[in-house]
Amino acid sequence: MAKPRRFEKLAIANRGEVAVRIIRACQELGIETVLLHSSADERTLAARMADETVCIGEAPSAASYLNIQANVQGALAAGADAIHPGFGFLSENADFADAVTNAGMVFVGPSSANIRLFGDKISAKSHVEKAGGPVIPGYQGGDQSMDRLLKECERIGYPVICKAAAGGGGRGLKVIRNSFEAQDLIQSAQREAQSAFGSSQVFLEKYLDHAKHIEVQVFGHASGHVTALLERECSVQRRHQKIIEEALSPSLDEDLRRQIAATARELAESAGYRNAGTVEFLLQDGQFYFMEMNTRLQVEHPVTELVMGVDLVKAQILTAMGESTGWPKDLQPRGHAIECRLYAEDPYQNGIPSTGRMLGTDWPHGPGRRFEVGFEAGDEVTSHYDSMIAKVIVWDETRVRAIQKMKRTLQDTIVFGVHTNIPLLQQILSHEEFLSGKMTTRFFETHFNKALPRPEFSESENKMLQTLSAQLAETSSGSTGGQGSIEANPWAHTWGQS
Amino acid sequence: MKWIEVEFQGRRLRVPAVKSQGKLWVHWQGETFAFDVGGGSRRAGSDKGKSHPGVIAAPMPGKITRVGVKNGDRVSKGQALVVMEAMKMEYTLEADREGQVTEVNVQTGMQVGLGEVLVRVGEA
Repeated sequence: MAKPRRFEKLAIANRGEVAVRIIRACQELGIETVLLHSSADERTLAARMADETVCIGEAPSAASYLNIQANVQGALAAGADAIHPGFGFLSENADFADAVTNAGMVFVGPSSANIRLFGDKISAKSHVEKAGGPVIPGYQGGDQSMDRLLKECERIGYPVICKAAAGGGGRGLKVIRNSFEAQDLIQSAQREAQSAFGSSQVFLEKYLDHAKHIEVQVFGHASGHVTALLERECSVQRRHQKIIEEALSPSLDEDLRRQIAATARELAESAGYRNAGTVEFLLQDGQFYFMEMNTRLQVEHPVTELVMGVDLVKAQILTAMGESTGWPKDLQPRGHAIECRLYAEDPYQNGIPSTGRMLGTDWPHGPGRRFEVGFEAGDEVTSHYDSMIAKVIVWDETRVRAIQKMKRTLQDTIVFGVHTNIPLLQQILSHEEFLSGKMTTRFFETHFNKALPRPEFSESENKMLQTLSAQLAETSSGSTGGQGSIEANPWAHTWGQS
Repeated sequence: MKWIEVEFQGRRLRVPAVKSQGKLWVHWQGETFAFDVGGGSRRAGSDKGKSHPGVIAAPMPGKITRVGVKNGDRVSKGQALVVMEAMKMEYTLEADREGQVTEVNVQTGMQVGLGEVLVRVGEA
């Protein structure tokens, strides 16, 4: 393994707002940066901010951001001492961590052994069981006879979820509500598993149907000591994609908070974990169960930073250099932080992705408001990568005030050129279940499974907008310009309506 | 982005707006809206804003990940025809009416642009 050392230059194997976040941390630490980017990302904020850029491949992720050799070679060519993988892409790829280390550079993250241990569902679960952590009751045995599977269902207790052992992504996944439907559903799951993954083997697990997503930020220091930076709640999700996260969770009492944090800390420490990681739990009826551990920085790390008063990205880099984070021993939470993910999508068309050139943005800065942005006016949002274009994070003294601040901040946030989910975020932030803090991971599908209704405009608004439109010339270069004549009821022709 | 002065209900307001590619973007009363106003240069093939029965067009640029029908197939309303992917999200395009497939212009793995016609379904 490459010895920890002071970095002169750090390569970033990522894009968008997280690349910007890492570059800023490096700038403050006096480390030069080189951005490893695809051909589609030449015109992005991160590319303009980095000291150097290396194009490592074509737009499709497989040809660039997921290509281990291209990233390693790019970093070596630029003379980087280390690579920060950000999140997504190669951040949880143990082979990448090994390739970086074997090339004589430092991987900013945990050891490849830790990535492997937690990356595999079965080895992760058995590690947690050995460490005495709470796992979701289930059956993963080799005896796949129907008799045995039915017996295990009874033991676990309904509802039970039956899933393909070999796969993910929802295929071969069935929720069994009672013993009458068990046999049929197990057989159907086996068939789907066979056709999708070539193996009919299934797992059984207790299905938690009103659980909250609670995760604990852990951090393994260069000294070997592990800190738990308390929890985040990320129950507002759409198809397992998080939308709103907050710290701390509104639904833990002090006892449970201490218990969950201590459990997460022990899981990480017993694995000899270094650098940033997150232990995800499901919490239902006061019981919490280990779900998975993410061996990387999380998208939602800023809410923990604001509440705990730390800089996780800087801490990651310092730790990778073998240095101390300099955190005080007794970190205490203060106030409440919320993050909203801004997705380029059309909320009036059920979240269909929206691409295009950013024509202008306005981020309404103020005390306790933070914007993590990867694009500026003139940059292109393409269909090659995920649709998160920015994150809006607020901090305030209480949860109620943080929600108020977020709503006002989003009201004043302007993104021209691509549609965003801001109207949807506003609806969620005003929903009584969200306000009560009682939302579960089913909150979104229960209340927001339909496209939002399009707002209607009054006659005087229509008139005002026509006047406004007439005053405005086309801005895009090369176009014929000219005065677009706005129709009597232009809102019927909103872009993208089908 | 420009700030345009307008009069609304007796008050003078400054409204952020921009016009590009035939579209007007306005931030009004705490929300951003986009309207088709014409007059700009539009991208070829983007027959957006209108829907024609039986014409299944790409609602976004992206990659075709699955084609579920072939020419001549009878389909029912709501039947999945094509699955496409953009920004790591899957999107299923369904038949908007019952009928017979008269045209399939795509195959798995193809990149398509916004508004491109993927499948046509003839009247039943």
